[in-house]
Amino acid sequence: MGFVWRGASDLMLDRGRWSCYKACNLVHGERKMIDVKNAHLIGTVLFLSLLPVGVRAAGPSAEGKPERIAIRGGMVLTISTNPIRDGTVLVEGETIRAVGRDVVVPDGARVVDAKGKFVLPGFMDAQSSLYVMASEASGSGGGSAEWSVADALDPFIERHEEVLHQGVTAVYVAPSGIGGFAGRGAVLSLNGATRPEKLVLKADAAVRASLGLSAGSQSSSLARLDDYASLRETLIEAQAYAQRQRRYRQDLAEYEKKKAEQEKEKKAGDGSKPKDSEELKRPDKPASNPTHEILAKVLDKEIPLQVEAHRVSDILNALRLAEEFKLSVILDGCTEGYRIAGEIARRKVPVVAGPVSTSFVAMPRLEYRNHSPENAAILAAKGIQTAVGVCGRDGLSSKFITLAAAMATANGMDRDAALRAITLTPAEIFGVADRIGSLDVGKRADLVVMTGHPFDADSRVEMVLVGGKVVYERDTTP
Amino acid sequence: MKRALLTIVAIGLVSVPTPGRAADAGRTLAVRAGRILTVSNGAIENGVITVRDGKIDGVGVDLAVPKGMETIDAGDKVVVPGFIDAHCHLGLSLNAMAEIDETVQPVTAQMRIIDAFDPTADELAQAVRAGVTTMMLAPGGRNPIGGQTAVVKLSGDRRKRWLVKPSAGVEMSFTSDALMSDRRPTSRPGLITLVQENLDKAAGYESDTFAPTAEVLSRLTRRELPAYVRAVAVDEIDAALSVIDRYELAAVLVGAQQADEMAEMLVEREVAVICGPQLLHSQDHDLKRAGRLAAAGVKVAFGSFAPRTMSGDIRTSAILAVRYGLKRDEALKALTINAAEILGLDGRLGSIQPGRDADLVILDGDPLEPASRVETVIIDGNVVYRREQK
Repeated sequence: MGFVWRGASDLMLDRGRWSCYKACNLVHGERKMIDVKNAHLIGTVLFLSLLPVGVRAAGPSAEGKPERIAIRGGMVLTISTNPIRDGTVLVEGETIRAVGRDVVVPDGARVVDAKGKFVLPGFMDAQSSLYVMASEASGSGGGSAEWSVADALDPFIERHEEVLHQGVTAVYVAPSGIGGFAGRGAVLSLNGATRPEKLVLKADAAVRASLGLSAGSQSSSLARLDDYASLRETLIEAQAYAQRQRRYRQDLAEYEKKKAEQEKEKKAGDGSKPKDSEELKRPDKPASNPTHEILAKVLDKEIPLQVEAHRVSDILNALRLAEEFKLSVILDGCTEGYRIAGEIARRKVPVVAGPVSTSFVAMPRLEYRNHSPENAAILAAKGIQTAVGVCGRDGLSSKFITLAAAMATANGMDRDAALRAITLTPAEIFGVADRIGSLDVGKRADLVVMTGHPFDADSRVEMVLVGGKVVYERDTTP
Repeated sequence: MKRALLTIVAIGLVSVPTPGRAADAGRTLAVRAGRILTVSNGAIENGVITVRDGKIDGVGVDLAVPKGMETIDAGDKVVVPGFIDAHCHLGLSLNAMAEIDETVQPVTAQMRIIDAFDPTADELAQAVRAGVTTMMLAPGGRNPIGGQTAVVKLSGDRRKRWLVKPSAGVEMSFTSDALMSDRRPTSRPGLITLVQENLDKAAGYESDTFAPTAEVLSRLTRRELPAYVRAVAVDEIDAALSVIDRYELAAVLVGAQQADEMAEMLVEREVAVICGPQLLHSQDHDLKRAGRLAAAGVKVAFGSFAPRTMSGDIRTSAILAVRYGLKRDEALKALTINAAEILGLDGRLGSIQPGRDADLVILDGDPLEPASRVETVIIDGNVVYRREQK
């Protein structure tokens, strides 16, 4: 059982006492009750003995070789390729080293028998609020493109491990302001880290904005037109800002160049002033604006713009923004997308559809009025890159990700597409597919071992690896 | 309790003519399927269900299907009784947050929710597509005594054949939702006092005086109507039980999230629980409660509280409850026969056996598998939904 705590050494460092107690319980198996004094003693010994192992797990071991884990004989759903029956996934350090039927398991590797089990990449909820305080996640009111969710993370949020235990290894989280720009979203890893910045797999994965969200379900008004107008206005300002900055950089370069030439002439000459020399003036630095700085990156397609829009008119407005400002847009929510799926497909805009059921959400808004549980299925069938998110009432709801995908299947989505919609597709949409989302050689070892297909009701998560570390193992002792 | 419910059934049957008789007279239908989950009598592999006049005529393996009888061949698919949403507010032309209570007065027992119901409302179609064939409509929880619930079928026609029970019980609320700052009650003790005052008054009700509220409440104290009592937390459930005990009400708890913590008391009193949407909970601890409740011997059904959640998500509730410990057969019963029993309609609904209404759902897999699709929905022997093949 030691390996469990080796993997979770991060957690142990911060929750020393609890972890030690738990570790004692595990080590002693059936011995459920241990007196506290003893627990501390054994715990401390265990804690100390495990500590160096924990450090070693992160990098090469004493022999210079990183830790290896071979998950052998399972039904490997790589997502990127056809399923591999009787396949083995070899993990070395934090990376997947080999995937296939004939993988040679090196000596000294820990072997996990996955016979009869399913091995898949960890799931990703692209509509999560995990690690964000519940009251903050659902807050109304505006934001700013400059706000970054990464600055508001709470790694100690209660019960977050329940999400991990359902096989979720990554979430996309963004500020949730209503109307206009809300802020920068990030892809987070459920690696058990206790420092907020260590949770971040990708900062600035997108800038989030919304169009036409009503503050509640009571009423809506044409004030939602203001969302569109103000987004345009801000983007136009940002365009001008970017232009000013560009011109300044050009002017500065010009100035530096001319200045260098003058210096050269001065040195080469006799010291007298050259006749045609003009008085060089260093260009004035334009005022810096952090919001526009971020939006300049959005205008450069360096950061995608995630637009939450539900009604047809709002979705079309988002598409219009994409065209006008040449943005890479991600449609979020897209409740009535099924009504204009052809149009969305033609623009090749990816969609994070959701929620499959309005039962997931904390408070259904008016925008869900024409909600169809078949939305994701229809969008995907049109060839739109479609991710399925939970869009749950709180951060813990991300644990329902496989349920959400299975329900999308029940409402017409292809089974493989639905599985991709909670793994590789969201990873692609938020720019982390080079690292996570599928079981491919070279990717980070974020993977899940389950007793059956993730959409089957009886399937249970047996083991979760994040970054090659075993961060969860189901306690199968009776 | 049982006798009371039987009386209710009797009243229901007398006051409303058995639907389907005239229009469906002589109409027949046969449904073949790989698996029939009868609920009352286990599973039948490769069976047939025959339907006559909107009622189930026969169920079995070697059933003779007369030549020329209209037949739905569902291949290897699964047939279950139509799902019953035991508590919702659909078809009331309201959005999710709107009031469904007459909150100026705290006691509106005479108000009937059926009078606000539109059987042709668009939102009902989505419930049907998810396999819901019957539901109990209820007032909201903002009045201590809110009004009369009703049971309707989702057959959607205009000839009132959908009406199963115009008055199925009285909705009561012991939650903080029923407390207001500008009218009684403003406090929990005040709420209990107010409810008791009204029930005491009803006990002395004489049928020759005109007092509609007291008239309805007197049916409650005579156990002719059950009380559907909203209570979520342990203290609210406790308060509800004290009133139930005092007036010996035939009662069902609604949305009683923490009921598992008082399961023994509920078993003693034969009080059933209509669980709220399980997706409204996100902590493992809360998701395990429905399973614990059933394991303790409490009769459990599910209510969607639609439009708060989707009516069809009573199935999702059952699936989630199974994932967190509810036994599979209990979960299917919760969606069907348990709800029928709670509504006093198990003589008509909730199981596949001769004499019951032909309300059937065909799925392409087990109903408790989240990925299973609803293929066909039949109400009173009529196909009301068929999934488009793409």
